[in-house]
Amino acid sequence: MSMDEMTKPIKRKRGSVSETKRQWAYLLMVIPGTLFLIAFAYLPMPGVILAFKFYQMQVPPDGALLQNTFLYSLFHSNWNGLNNFTYLLKDAPMLIRNTVGYNLLFMVVGVILQVGLAVVINEMRNRKTAKVYHTIMFMPYFVSWIVVMYALYAMISPSGFFNQLITSMGGQTIKFYSQKQYWPWIFLIANIWKYTGQGSIIYLATLTGFDDQLYEAGAIDGATKWQQFRYITLPQLMPVIVMLQILAVGRIFNGDFDMFYSLPNGSGTLRQVTSTIDVYVYDMLKKGNLRNSFGYAGAGAFFQSVVGFFLILITNGIVRRHQPDMALF
Amino acid sequence: MTTVDYKKLKKAEKEASKHSAARNQISKGTNLFFNIVLIIGCVLTLFPLWIIIVSSITSEVALTTYGYRLWPLEFSVNAYTYLFRDGSVILTAYKNTLIATLAGTLLSVVTVGLYAYALSRPDFKYKKFFTFFSFFTMLFGGGMVSYYNMCRSVLGLKDTVWALFLPMSFSAYWVIIMRTFYQSSVPEAIIESARIDGSGEWRTLLQIVCPLAIPGFATVALFSAIGIWNDFRNCLLLNDKAQFYNLQYTIYQTMNNLRFLKENASRMGGVNVANLPAETFRMAMAVVTVGPIIMAYPFFQRYFVKGLTVGAVKG
Repeated sequence: MSMDEMTKPIKRKRGSVSETKRQWAYLLMVIPGTLFLIAFAYLPMPGVILAFKFYQMQVPPDGALLQNTFLYSLFHSNWNGLNNFTYLLKDAPMLIRNTVGYNLLFMVVGVILQVGLAVVINEMRNRKTAKVYHTIMFMPYFVSWIVVMYALYAMISPSGFFNQLITSMGGQTIKFYSQKQYWPWIFLIANIWKYTGQGSIIYLATLTGFDDQLYEAGAIDGATKWQQFRYITLPQLMPVIVMLQILAVGRIFNGDFDMFYSLPNGSGTLRQVTSTIDVYVYDMLKKGNLRNSFGYAGAGAFFQSVVGFFLILITNGIVRRHQPDMALF
Repeated sequence: MTTVDYKKLKKAEKEASKHSAARNQISKGTNLFFNIVLIIGCVLTLFPLWIIIVSSITSEVALTTYGYRLWPLEFSVNAYTYLFRDGSVILTAYKNTLIATLAGTLLSVVTVGLYAYALSRPDFKYKKFFTFFSFFTMLFGGGMVSYYNMCRSVLGLKDTVWALFLPMSFSAYWVIIMRTFYQSSVPEAIIESARIDGSGEWRTLLQIVCPLAIPGFATVALFSAIGIWNDFRNCLLLNDKAQFYNLQYTIYQTMNNLRFLKENASRMGGVNVANLPAETFRMAMAVVTVGPIIMAYPFFQRYFVKGLTVGAVKG
């Protein structure tokens, strides 16, 4: 996926009319996309300084250079040093534990299941059925988290399917929406459900591209299927696994906002195990009555963007030092 | 003569590989075991959706009395007739979502298609710059607070249908997929020969490259359509007025109201739970929300898998 690999440029006369015309055509082609990138990716970037500001809304006076209230307030609010981070600190251990913990859990379990599924499907003797299985397991990727929230409600609410099952066997109704201990499992299962089929696609595609001769040679030398997996498949799959994990590490302070925000169904008692940094930032953002709520939210967002950015650089650097081929850039 | 020989050779090769592959297969027992595991996996995958569908076609009385079951104890399509008869809320949301999805998908195919094509051309002078310009956005972002403020106040997207698709119409990830797709499935020689024949860049792109890149476009279109159809966050952040809500946010709100009412029903005393907005109705809403996107999946699947794998695998 390295971005700068290019085929050798074709030598041609520079400066000819058609050459200039061509460059203009190319530039015209990138303009719409560039506008989108500027508007939705680059424009918000300077906003990371919110993390160090005591944000106060100020209406721009007539004749001010910035006539937009947000921009004017952003640049005219006082600096607040690291105080926004101090404010964040009291929730930080819980937020970081949740965000990083869930992400690591999803990464590890995800890789094992996705690679496993890809290998199993690749090895199956009945190819057509294997494809049907995969098609079905891919489907949850198309289902939004909000619909998952509905499905979850239908299963674990007091009148939900599981509670019906439990009570019919003589058990007590479990109040899932107010008991914390179940939620790490619920998130894990929901994540597995949604992403296993989709995540395995890329591994499956890589697997099918491997040279059969390696496996045949292995089989002739008496390697069992498991040994073939361990010593032929896995090493070849490693670059793809590593590449995907580098990207995942960069997003370790982000989370699936939709999932963490919607699945608990707004239950406040679960906050301790369902709040991630994303959710914190959103909650802060919406606290209109809190002074400097943007600043506090900004501190959380800063953490995600900047620390995440350096994490990805560091991980990539380490990988590049040991296995240059596997590095992302 | 030579072609016949070649064909025979290929056939023989195929046969040989078939035989050797047959020798190097997993045992029948393992195969059976894998089948069982995957069947269980599929059942578990379909189960949550099954529960939603079943409860949406159960009568309200049966659902409140017996709870959520595996089969409808009393079959009824009341929820759906009610949904389409008196569904102004859901109809507005449907309309918004449909407009956003169509417009956004079209927009993303055009913008990503153009941007990626320029990046795929080895003779584009600023290729490196624009490649980095898009790739960098995958590594670093301004964060939710600043995004929220920029979109709402600077870009003026607050309470518009635009908010439901513009921010999701372009992504660096799709650019990579599309660029790789051009590079791997549009031979350079074709573009060269078109140029020699006097075709300009635009004409080459439209008449020669586009037809070859359809699977790539389909992939980007499907990604974009799913993203916009299933979007919840953007609507939550940017739209405050109900007339601009999309489907996901609408049904999210409905669920929240339902839970709130149920929890407080006992405290409020006189409220009869049976008279509350119907649960089957909510489940029917979830079914209509997820329906179209799941229906689209089989049609796009072969493009989707192809496009995904071409774009993502290194080299």
